[in-house]
Amino acid sequence: MRTLVLLSDARHPVSGRPHLSRLETQAIGLAASLDPAARGLHAGSGEDAVRAGLGHGLAGLDVIETTGEADPLPALVGFLADALGGADAPELILAGRRGEGGFETGLVPYLVAERLGLPIVADAVAIRAGEMPGTLVVDQAMAKGARRRVTVRLPAVVTVHPLSPLPRPFAYGPMRRGRIRRHSPAAEQADLPAVAKMAGHGTVAGRAEDTGGTTVGPVDVVPADERPHRARPKLMRTSGTAAGGANLHVGPDPTEAARLILDYLEANGIRRYGKAPE
Amino acid sequence: MSRQRRDPRAERGIRTVESRARPRLDVARRESPAASGRLRRDPWREWAASLVDETYRKRYDRSQRQMSREDAARFLAARSDIEATAISPGQPALHVVEEPAFLIFAVIEATGGRLSRFDRQVFGAARLLADADAGGGAVVAITTGEIDGLGEAGADRMLALPSANGGQARAAALRHAVETLLPRHVIFAEDGDSADLARRLSVALGDDLMSGVEHLTARQAVRPIRNGAREIGLAPPRLMTIGEDRVKPYAAAPCEARPIDASDFEAGADPAILSSEIIPGDPASLALSETDFVVSAGNGVSDIAAFRELAAAMKGTPGASRVVCDAGLMPRSAQVGASGTVLAADCYFALGISGAPQHLQGIAGCEHVIAVNTDLHAAMIERAGLAIVQDAQLVMPALLALLRERGA
Repeated sequence: MRTLVLLSDARHPVSGRPHLSRLETQAIGLAASLDPAARGLHAGSGEDAVRAGLGHGLAGLDVIETTGEADPLPALVGFLADALGGADAPELILAGRRGEGGFETGLVPYLVAERLGLPIVADAVAIRAGEMPGTLVVDQAMAKGARRRVTVRLPAVVTVHPLSPLPRPFAYGPMRRGRIRRHSPAAEQADLPAVAKMAGHGTVAGRAEDTGGTTVGPVDVVPADERPHRARPKLMRTSGTAAGGANLHVGPDPTEAARLILDYLEANGIRRYGKAPE
Repeated sequence: MSRQRRDPRAERGIRTVESRARPRLDVARRESPAASGRLRRDPWREWAASLVDETYRKRYDRSQRQMSREDAARFLAARSDIEATAISPGQPALHVVEEPAFLIFAVIEATGGRLSRFDRQVFGAARLLADADAGGGAVVAITTGEIDGLGEAGADRMLALPSANGGQARAAALRHAVETLLPRHVIFAEDGDSADLARRLSVALGDDLMSGVEHLTARQAVRPIRNGAREIGLAPPRLMTIGEDRVKPYAAAPCEARPIDASDFEAGADPAILSSEIIPGDPASLALSETDFVVSAGNGVSDIAAFRELAAAMKGTPGASRVVCDAGLMPRSAQVGASGTVLAADCYFALGISGAPQHLQGIAGCEHVIAVNTDLHAAMIERAGLAIVQDAQLVMPALLALLRERGA
């Protein structure tokens, strides 16, 4: 299953240096387990941040060189539309559930999926090929340790949850051996309408004009609104009800105590243990 | 222009209190409310209201919440001389919005039909925006089924969208609701399916999303960008997701949660999703930080094998206090408390744990606590919603026997 991982231009939170986002490292780990020839895709001014992905299991890297603050979405959509129409079309596009280093809205995978007319599945912790060819089984993380197992038709976009397994450790040799292909954004965008027609996706064809435009994507700010971040304290987790009083039982018979405990659990909907004896 | 003349003798006359011996003045008496317009608090009355009855020692519920309706009723029963509404003076017993000036959608998950902490915080954010300035807004809870306690959490209206298979179908139903009812804001939790739904809706509407809001007032919403190095503050936009523990839950008079007719909003199915099933987590293998029910052993438990058997039978994740982990009876990963795991569970069952402050920090987020301990005056007994003063070594086999009986 040919797999592509979207990589963002993350910065280390302390040093501010370019580094590979941890979540995307986990996405690379999932991709490498499915496809030994998985590739990374990055749109940005350089590959400093994402080159380490080669050392974690990517076989190659595609870098679309855009200028500093440009919106990466048109470049990504253009490249992916081109790739999906080509011979070696990627079947699975993986991304972190939120890119880092930019506006961090987490909208890029959704916009990419919408522009390309692909389904999107969020918060994957495990993926594997489905029983039918051309399908993928995704385990989504849910609250309280539950998982939702979803079978989805390929090609698809899948975002990765922080609870997914740890990636392969970094290795220097593979990073040096990995091949980086550089692309220019303008050439990719020119191909878009033709590919959209060929793929037969109404969404892409309908949106092709504004994809080439200037303001698409998760831009909800003008630079003037930016200011240094101020850490604000989170709410304290105060204790819940201190009921006391009525619910205090001093020295009950152990059997009676056990009955009280199970009744309390069932009354509050925590657990249900079979039928109470009539 | 002239000011009205004060009559000091008349004022004195008003303040004079009847008494037998000599004339006395009530100096604290005020004719008009305070210039700030805020109502005066009466701390004595609040103390009296938070006094928990039915014990010999004086005990106070110091959680400093405003009274929910149930609590107020409980206190009313306990202390007949106090009115339920007197505890929060000036607030009606039920908050009703007949003709809302605008709507605010609060999209909640409520896994298992119960509101979580985070859900309540989403309602808190929605109420904040609905009651800002002139107020008059109504909070609409967007749910997928019947949920208890929506009114107490702050919902004026309730819209139960039909449950849909797949996020795309859910987003389509929600989009239809947004385009029909035209809410001023739609607020989500930055977590799980809600975060997914927010982004799908943002893309479907072609509208910007302010995600992971850290600071919210009626004037501005602030969120971090660029790996937490910078932030942006904007007037609250239409679509927002709020971060966990960032907005206080609503804690004033309960609202009515009147249902809205949802028959117009039908849910389709997502054609790309071929099948979908939910696999519940196995409590025995879950991490402590992820589970919803922890059965925990302290120094009062000596039979660890029986404890493990009990935890498995109760379908809870085994935990332990520091003493037990130090003794090597339980692994370090099972330690609950400030230096172990801080729990996010709904329920905590403490067997033979007295409740050191560091341990209580670890369970601060738990809604329900059950304590079994021999010491009546232990901190854990005071913290617990169900407190049993009994030897944990005796209660464990009784529980196991009862569970076997009920399971059979």
